[in-house]
Amino acid sequence: MVEVSTPVRWLLRLAATGYVFFLVAWPVALVVRQTFADGLDNLLATFDDPNVVNALELTLVVACWAVVINTLFGVTISVLLVRYEFPGKRLLSALIDLPLSVSPVVVGLALLLVYNGRNGWFGPSLEDNGFQIIFSTPGMVMATCFVALPLVIREVVPTLTEVGDDQEQAARSLGANARQTFWRITLPSIKWAVIYGVVLSLARSLGEFGAVKIVSGNVTGSTQTATLMVEAKYQNFQQGTAYATSFLLILVSIACLVVVALLRPKHQ
Amino acid sequence: MSIDVSGITKKFGDFVALDDVSVSLPTGQLTALLGPSGGGKSTLLRVIAGLEAADAGRVTIEGVDATRLPAQKRNVGFVFQHYAVFKHMTVAKNVAFGLEIRRKPKAEIAARVDELLRLVHLSQFSHRLPSQLSGGQRQRMALARALAVEPKVLLLDEPFGALDAKVRKELRDWLRRLHDEVHVTTVFVTHDQEEAMEVADEIVVINDGRVEQVGTPDQLYDEPANDFVMSFLGEVTTLGGVLLRPHDVHISATPQLAGAAEGTVARVLRVGFEVRVNVLTDDGEDVLVVLTRAHARQLGIEPGARVWVTPASGATTVPPMEAAVG
Repeated sequence: MVEVSTPVRWLLRLAATGYVFFLVAWPVALVVRQTFADGLDNLLATFDDPNVVNALELTLVVACWAVVINTLFGVTISVLLVRYEFPGKRLLSALIDLPLSVSPVVVGLALLLVYNGRNGWFGPSLEDNGFQIIFSTPGMVMATCFVALPLVIREVVPTLTEVGDDQEQAARSLGANARQTFWRITLPSIKWAVIYGVVLSLARSLGEFGAVKIVSGNVTGSTQTATLMVEAKYQNFQQGTAYATSFLLILVSIACLVVVALLRPKHQ
Repeated sequence: MSIDVSGITKKFGDFVALDDVSVSLPTGQLTALLGPSGGGKSTLLRVIAGLEAADAGRVTIEGVDATRLPAQKRNVGFVFQHYAVFKHMTVAKNVAFGLEIRRKPKAEIAARVDELLRLVHLSQFSHRLPSQLSGGQRQRMALARALAVEPKVLLLDEPFGALDAKVRKELRDWLRRLHDEVHVTTVFVTHDQEEAMEVADEIVVINDGRVEQVGTPDQLYDEPANDFVMSFLGEVTTLGGVLLRPHDVHISATPQLAGAAEGTVARVLRVGFEVRVNVLTDDGEDVLVVLTRAHARQLGIEPGARVWVTPASGATTVPPMEAAVG
C-alpha cells in the first residue's frame, strides 16, 4: 500500500462518500420520505388500486420467467463457452455482451420488428396460430431475457474456467455419464456463481423499463409493469402511488443486494 | 497382457505428442512411463484412460478393444497430478462416488469406503472436506477413490509431482507397498528416474512421442538401448569417445592399465560421502569421475595432480549421440 498523508486520506474519503451520498443515498432516501409523508396512507392506497396490484403481479411473473429462462440458457451457454471449442465461439461470446452495451429501447424496437402481428418476420404466422408475442406477456419476457442475458453467463464463465475440468474428468473415469457429471460435479462447484447470477438477473428484470415499454404496449391494468406504472402515475399527478411503488421496487433491490452481500464471501 | 497399445498416434495441431507408439503392459505389475516433460507419456496415459482420443491406433484393456469406449465405460482408475478431488464432498463421499454411480447398496458402499480409508490411512478424516487435508492426504484419498470401483487397471499421472520432496518419497514407498497388497495392474507417469527405478517392476522410457526402451530397472540401467536412455537414467560422462557413468571410471595416480588416458585434475568437489573430480585429459576431454572420499584421499587427488583414467572393467558404455540416432 502506498502511504497517503492524513489530510489527503480524509479528503479522498469525503469525496467518495459525498459523491455516493448526493448521487444515490439522498435521492433514494427522498423517495422513501415522500412515500411515508402521510404515514402509511400512500402505501395502503397503492395496494387498494387493482391496477397497481395487477402491475406488481405482472412484474413478478415476467421477472420470474425471465430469470428461469436466463438461468437455464445461461448455464448451458457458459458450459458451452468454457468446455467446448467450436467455430463462431468468439462471436457468440461477443454477442452475449451486446445487451450490456445496447440501449434497452433499441432491444424493444428490434423485437417489435421481428414479432409484431401485422408486418413482423414471425409475428403474423405466430398470431395466426394463436400466439401473441408483442403487447403480451411473452414479448415482455423476451425483452427482459434479452436485457438480463449476460448477467448469469458473466458470473458463471469465470468460475467454470477457474474450477477447471479435472473434477469432471475424474468423475468420468469413475463411471459417471455426462448428465451425472453435470448434476453431481459441475453444478455444485458453480452453485454460488449461479445463485449470484440469478439474484443479479432478478434485480435487473424487476427494474427493466425501456425494452418492456415498447413491446408491452403499456396498457394500464393489463400489460403495465411496476416500472411503467411508476412513470404513468407520476405523469398523472398521482405522485403518492408513484412513490409508494418506487419504494417497493427499492425494497426488492435492497433485498437482492443483501442476499448478494451475504453470498459473496462464501462464493470467493 | 493387461494393456495393449498399438500404433497410437496423437497430434495437437502441428505438435506430434505420440508417434506410432506400440507397447504392452503386463497384468498385475507396476509399470512406470518415464521420460522428459513434453515427451508424450502423460498423453499416452490419457489415451489409455479414454480422456484423450488418439488420431490413430488401438487400445486393448484386458482383451477388450477399448479404442472407441468412452472413459466412463473403460473401468480404469485414474489419479491426477493435482488430485482432482471433489471439493464440495467429504472424504468419504469422494471415495463413495464411483460406487454411488454404480448404484451399489448403501451398506455395501459404507463398508467398502471404510475398508479403503483404512487402507490409505485416512479413516479418522472421513468426514472432513478435502480442503482440510494436506497434499499427500488428498492424493491418498484420490487413490482410494480410484480403487473403490475395483478398476481393471490403475493409472496415475505424475501422482507425486505436486508434493514436496519428503512426502513424495514417503508416498512412493507407500505406493509400492500398496501395490504389493492390492495387485491391481498399475501404470504411473513420472519424469523422475529415481522414482521410476525405485518403485516400478518395469519401465517404459518415452521421449519425443516414441518408446525408447522397455525393461526392468536393472536392464535399463545396465543395458541402455541408446545414449538417451543412458543419460536419462543417470549421470554420464565421456571418456575415449564413449558414454559411461562417472562411477565406472577407474582413476589412478600412476599409469597402471594399458590404454589409460593421462590428464590433470581440474576441479575437486566433495558432496557428502562422495568426491566428484573433473579430469582434463591431454586429448582435451573433460571427464567426470565419482569416487568415495576415502579412495580420493588414498590417491592424493587434488587440483593440478597428474592422473590416469580408464573405463573400469564391466562398465556400461554406449556410443555417443551421433551413432545412436534412430
